[in-house]
Amino acid sequence: MSFGDGWYPVALAGDIEPGQSAGTRLFDREFCIWRDADGCPHAWEDRCPHRGMRLSFGFVRGDRIACLYHGWQYDTQGRCRFIPAHPDLDVPPTIRVAAYPCLDRLGMLWVYSDATIETPPDLSLEQSGVVPVRSLYIESAPAAVMQLLPPSSKNIGTAGLPLLSIDAEGQHLIAGIQPFGKAKTALHIVLPCAVDNQRSTARSKAAIWAEELRHDLEQEAVSSTASAFSEVAP
Amino acid sequence: VTELTLYDDELDDQCYKARLLFGALRRPYRKIAVDVHPGAEQRSAPFLKLNPQATLPILTENDLVLCGAEPILAYLARKYDTTRTWFPDEPETFGRIMQWLAFAVGDLRAASIARANALFECEADATAVHRASRRAFRLMDDHMIKQEFHDAAWFVGGTPTIADIALFPAIALSRDLGVDHDEYPALRRWMRRMRTIPGFITMPGIPAFH
Repeated sequence: MSFGDGWYPVALAGDIEPGQSAGTRLFDREFCIWRDADGCPHAWEDRCPHRGMRLSFGFVRGDRIACLYHGWQYDTQGRCRFIPAHPDLDVPPTIRVAAYPCLDRLGMLWVYSDATIETPPDLSLEQSGVVPVRSLYIESAPAAVMQLLPPSSKNIGTAGLPLLSIDAEGQHLIAGIQPFGKAKTALHIVLPCAVDNQRSTARSKAAIWAEELRHDLEQEAVSSTASAFSEVAP
Repeated sequence: VTELTLYDDELDDQCYKARLLFGALRRPYRKIAVDVHPGAEQRSAPFLKLNPQATLPILTENDLVLCGAEPILAYLARKYDTTRTWFPDEPETFGRIMQWLAFAVGDLRAASIARANALFECEADATAVHRASRRAFRLMDDHMIKQEFHDAAWFVGGTPTIADIALFPAIALSRDLGVDHDEYPALRRWMRRMRTIPGFITMPGIPAFH
């Protein structure tokens, strides 16, 4: 699995509620992800064109997000529509935020990593039909995480989609991989079917497994750093 | 005259805990602003008589002088919460709340130190307290993820308690120390719930809009 331009999961779908914004990263680039009041997801460059404030700190009202700093309001296309300090101004269309393709699939929020692409490739995944477990943020490089996942893990994403099937001590999980940054990786973990019976037990079990996985992966990250140092030590 | 008095610093995360509970309990009180930055008034002789630890908040009522946010939360809840929900007697709930109060003054203390270091140039090992803060926030997020699986919306059970109040300021103000909320989805949801508590108030660094 290589981490080039493409679709990446950046959150569990339910973790960004309608009217809520949050920050995240792909390859250390900052993104603002938010849902408008109708629940439609958006992923933008996390920077207000006015003063560079992170838009993810802002607040959503209806189908607009407003910057926390001076209240500049942007519509769902990323175009600035209202500047409170100049209420009568017809805002020039050039004031806009770069918007990335963004979709809900398989219980996760997916972002295409290139904002300039005209038509991104299809994201051929089911829209839902999964049970969310949790997002897991691991202090370790994406490539290192990939190497250290349980050996039974299988890449199930077609066309390079970063999606894994994992056997977690007998429990089947699906994880989307987010290359957050050089030294950080996020896994967005779901249960593949709507297990209504024992649902909370299954989710708890998966969440506890995930915490252990994170612990192991970070231990590995620490010890591999330590051994890298010891190799150059006199 | 019996008057509830809070010696307070508007910018202090610990004082905010007391103000939050006063708000939620709808309890009127007298607030005395202490000049902490730059005056260091809490280290002056009259204040050291009240609290030799030279910290805020301090609560006084009649002859009682209470220092530190968590004891003040416990006292106010016991005395003025007519609903008995903020700090219930039931042993298991009581024990769990105490555990989170201990966490707030233990592991989570790093976040207060890191913030004081970032904002007010108080001395600290910036790298170490930053790391310790993130470890504490992660532990809180792990807990709330599992709470939600059992439809428990708060740190202890189905209603807000003084545990939630004691834990809220550190993560709500975490951007002051350069820690974003990106990695804590369950805490983001919980912080939104905190804002729906009747009588909720903000402080500088916690935007009224969200």
